[in-house]
This record gives sequence, structure tokens and C-alpha cells, in this order.
Amino acid sequence: MTGPTTTAEAPPAPPRRRLLPTDVLVVACLAIVAVRFLAPGAFTAPALQAWSTVFVAVCLQALPFLVLGVLLSAAITAFVPADFFERAMPRRAGLAVPVAGLSGAVLPGCECAAVPVAGSLVRRGVAPAAALAFLLSAPAINPVVLVATAVAFPDEPWMAPARFAASLAVALVMGWLWARFGRGEWLRLPARAGAPAGTPRSAVFREAAQHDLVHAGGYLVVGGLTAATLNVAVPREWLDSVAGSAVLSVLVLAVLAVLLAVCSEADAFVAASLTSFSLTSRLVFLVVGPVVDVKLVALQSGTFGRRFALRFAPATFAVAVLAALAVAWVVW
Amino acid sequence: MDRLTASLVLLLLGGVTLRVSLTDAYLAYVQAGFRPFLLAAAAVLLVLGVIGAVRERPGRALGTDDHRHDQAHDHDHDHGHDHGHDHGHAHGPRVAWLMLAPVAVLLLVAPPALGSFTAARQPQQVVAEQPVAVGIGPDDPGEDFRTLPLSAYAIRAVAEDTSAFEGRRVRLTGFVTPREGGGWYVTRIAIQCCAADAVAHTVVVDGPRGDLPADQWVDVVGTWAPPVPHPTRGWPEPVIAPESVTPVDPPADTYAD
Repeated sequence: MTGPTTTAEAPPAPPRRRLLPTDVLVVACLAIVAVRFLAPGAFTAPALQAWSTVFVAVCLQALPFLVLGVLLSAAITAFVPADFFERAMPRRAGLAVPVAGLSGAVLPGCECAAVPVAGSLVRRGVAPAAALAFLLSAPAINPVVLVATAVAFPDEPWMAPARFAASLAVALVMGWLWARFGRGEWLRLPARAGAPAGTPRSAVFREAAQHDLVHAGGYLVVGGLTAATLNVAVPREWLDSVAGSAVLSVLVLAVLAVLLAVCSEADAFVAASLTSFSLTSRLVFLVVGPVVDVKLVALQSGTFGRRFALRFAPATFAVAVLAALAVAWVVW
Repeated sequence: MDRLTASLVLLLLGGVTLRVSLTDAYLAYVQAGFRPFLLAAAAVLLVLGVIGAVRERPGRALGTDDHRHDQAHDHDHDHGHDHGHDHGHAHGPRVAWLMLAPVAVLLLVAPPALGSFTAARQPQQVVAEQPVAVGIGPDDPGEDFRTLPLSAYAIRAVAEDTSAFEGRRVRLTGFVTPREGGGWYVTRIAIQCCAADAVAHTVVVDGPRGDLPADQWVDVVGTWAPPVPHPTRGWPEPVIAPESVTPVDPPADTYAD
């Protein structure tokens, strides 16, 4: 719909004027309206409707959390003094990582909120290793998610603590790994116009919020498209057929956590519904999901750059599986 | 994407979000308690979009009174693209255009709540997560049947002790899903957060479906019958022997049971 629109709609006013994005937008909207009225019954296939429902659901479900994260991130940009985090965080990355990882517990949101906040922490001079520890821990160890986990597993009092321990371990290990091996050039935050001195704070806030929304919103939709497609395309039957194998079930649920991209506030209920799988493999699902999934990787490449996301996501996946297995081995 | 377009896209997204959350339409996608958050998100999008669009409206004199155009030029150089015309603010990446996708899908497809297509694809064994009370409570006031949530009936109907159903009639409400290998189910779909975590609850209706189409909502009043094996998976499926099947209107929140 945003593809090669014809130049016929371009206003004729100045000679050789380029097709402006606004023109494309107007054409796209006209096309939507035209299709709606010319072919109202064109979209009734059950598979298409189920796909659309899941796609819209993932987008709507994540939108408030994304907006919350973007507002928090804009508030950090506009209202927190530039040197606050330098003073508040331990200077050594080795110490800053656990401090940032534990402070993830106070952001009551899911992964969509954590990404923009972590991005603005990096912009504010927080060591990337610490910001990444926050990015990984916030969606998994906040009270909302832990309570949801406890509610979803009423017979397994150890599930929520195990999730907390394994997720925090992932955040710390990844933070320390980044401090040791990470390279600054992998991180490429999209430039956000620095406000000149004297700009009203409200203007800085508004600019930052709009900028982050526009940058992250598109990637959220990419994640929604992927999750809806897999949700409708992967039959539950072959899931159940692998549940019996200890190794396969762990691998399958780890991959499923990445592909389904369920919000971390809901994934406990999905895990609880996978009753044929072992507790260990379901813990893996709960630990992997909030730190690596298709929607999150898309958001991360929008916020931190593609080179970063391509390295960070596979490493996080491996660490998350290992951490969950280690905790499960201790607990059960 | 320039600033004006970005603002308009936020405006559109906020507009459709507001539209689905002001009516009951949002109940097809997310759980009922989510409405305030959707309204708040829509309000933020609309405010950002309106302010942005007003400040960037075409015809507003460039470079007169504010700093933002200077910033915008720095921005251009950072990105190294989208030079060359007056409004080249390079404000959003190409992928930002995808924010129009949910707008288009909501306006064009207006997808309904998940139904028999999803239920048929996600068969699930009924397993009691914890011991459930066997009793089903007294009959509905003034009626000779007990209305049960479909999932509650399903769990009790495959339990070892089904004595609570002796001499009792129950009413289940759900939609029609054709059953593999013949017959049909009365079905509910439950969600915890959004439609991506949907779980289907199905009860075999041991009686003729007549000309009821798939996804038609029905009230089934009947009695307990012994579970039957799933046609391909073999696990026991709960059964109701119907005395009456009445087409009804779907509830506002089809996921609430």
C-alpha cells in the first residue's frame, strides 16, 4: 500500500516537485477507503480473519506498554539531569550491571516498554552493559510478571522464584559478557536531535516521545506480523508430539518462545496451558520469551541498530536456555 | 518519512485505537480490563499527533521562530538520506510506514473474535490443573438446569467422580465448531491477555447439528454423557447429551466465560 504509488496524485504546483511522504500517506488512505467501499466482502476467509485478529491483538496489547516506555524514556531525556546516572550508578561496569539488573524489578511493564527506556539510558551515559542488564531483567522480574506466573502455576510454588532467579542470571551474565567482549561500534542508536540550550522541557519531551514512537512503532508491527503468522501457521499437533522427549521439548519451547512473541505478562498462562511439556521446558519458555522474541529483536534493531541485534539476540538465547536449565536442575 | 507524515501516522493509529476501545470491538482482541490502557495510549498518540501536525502544517513559514529546523538539519546529516527538499527532516525510518498496517487491517478486515477456525486448529486435552470441587451447585433460579461455564463443565465431565451430574441438567453457551471425524462441539475460546494466547475449550454435543453453521452461538441444555476419545489424539473429550439446542446472539465479550 505504501509501495510505488503513481505520481499522478502529486500536486502540480511547483515544477518537478518530488513526491512527498505526505502525498504517499494521502494516497494510501484513499486506497484504504476505496477498497473498504468497493470490495467490502473481500476479507472473509477464516484463516485471514484469524490471522488479522491475532495481528491486531498483538499490536493493541503491546501499544500501551510501548507508549508507557516511550513516555518514561522521554521523561528521562527531558527531566533527568544529564549527570544523574553518572552519579547514581557505580562507576565500574562490573558493579553497575547488578545494580541495573535489580532495578529492572521496578518497571512494571513488558519487553516493549523496556527497549526505549534502555535506549535512553544509553543516551544518558549509562554504561551499555548496565543498560542491557536492565533491558533483559525489566520485562521478566517485575512484580506484575512474577505475580502472573504464580497465579498461572498454583501447584508449582517454585515456578515464580525459579523464573526470577534464571531471568536475573541471564541479565547479569549478558551484562558482564557485554562489559568484557562488547564493542561500542555494534551499538548504533538512531540519532535523536539534541535540544539546544534554552529549549523548553516540554518541547524536548514531546520531540523525544514522538521520535521514539515513530522509530519503535514500525518494528512493533513487524513483530506483530511475524507472531500472527506463526501463531496461525504452526499446528499445535506437532508441538504435542515432541513434548515427550526431554531434549526436544526444551528446544521446541525455547524456539516457540522466540516465535510466538507473547507479552511477558501473558506468557505464564501460555506456558501453563502447555500441559504436556515438562516443568523444565516450560521454565525455559518463560525465561527465553521476555529476553528474545521476534517482536523484541525487531524493536531492538530499531533502537540499537541491526548489527547489535544480530549479535545480541543469539547470545542471549543461548545464555537464557542455559540459565533456565541450571535453575531447573537445582529446583526440581 | 518527514515530521508531518509521522505526526499524521500517529494520529491515524491513535484514531483507530480510540475507535476500537470506545466500542466493544476491542474485546475481540484483548481482555476487558485492558480498556483504560488502550484509551490512555490512544490519547497519547492523538495528542502527539495533533501537536506535531499543527506545528508542521504545510504553509507554516520555515525557520522563523524555532530551533527545530536547525536540529532537523543535523539529523539529516546523521542519517545521510532524504536530503533535497524543504521538509527533509528524515524523522522516521522506512519501517515506520508499517504503523499503517494495523490501521488498514482494522478498517478493512475489522477481524472478529477468534472462532471455530482457531478452535479446530488448537485441540487441547482437558486436564484439571488442581483438584476441582465436584459439585455443580443449585439450578438457576426458576429453571430446571444449571448454567455452567464451558471450561468448568469440561473439567468435571472427564473427572473420575461425575456423580454431581446424576439427575441434573446443565446449560452451556458457546459457538459451533465442526468436529473432525463427524459431529460437532460447543466451544468457547479463553484468553488471558490477548488473542495471541487463546485457548479453546470444547465439549462434544452428542446430537444432530441440523443446519447450524460454524461459529453460530448456541445455548445447549442437556445431561452429562460419558467421555469419548478424540478422533485422532485419543484423549477423552467431554460430552453433553443435548435436550435442546437454541441459537443465541454472541455475548459482547466472547472470551469471558
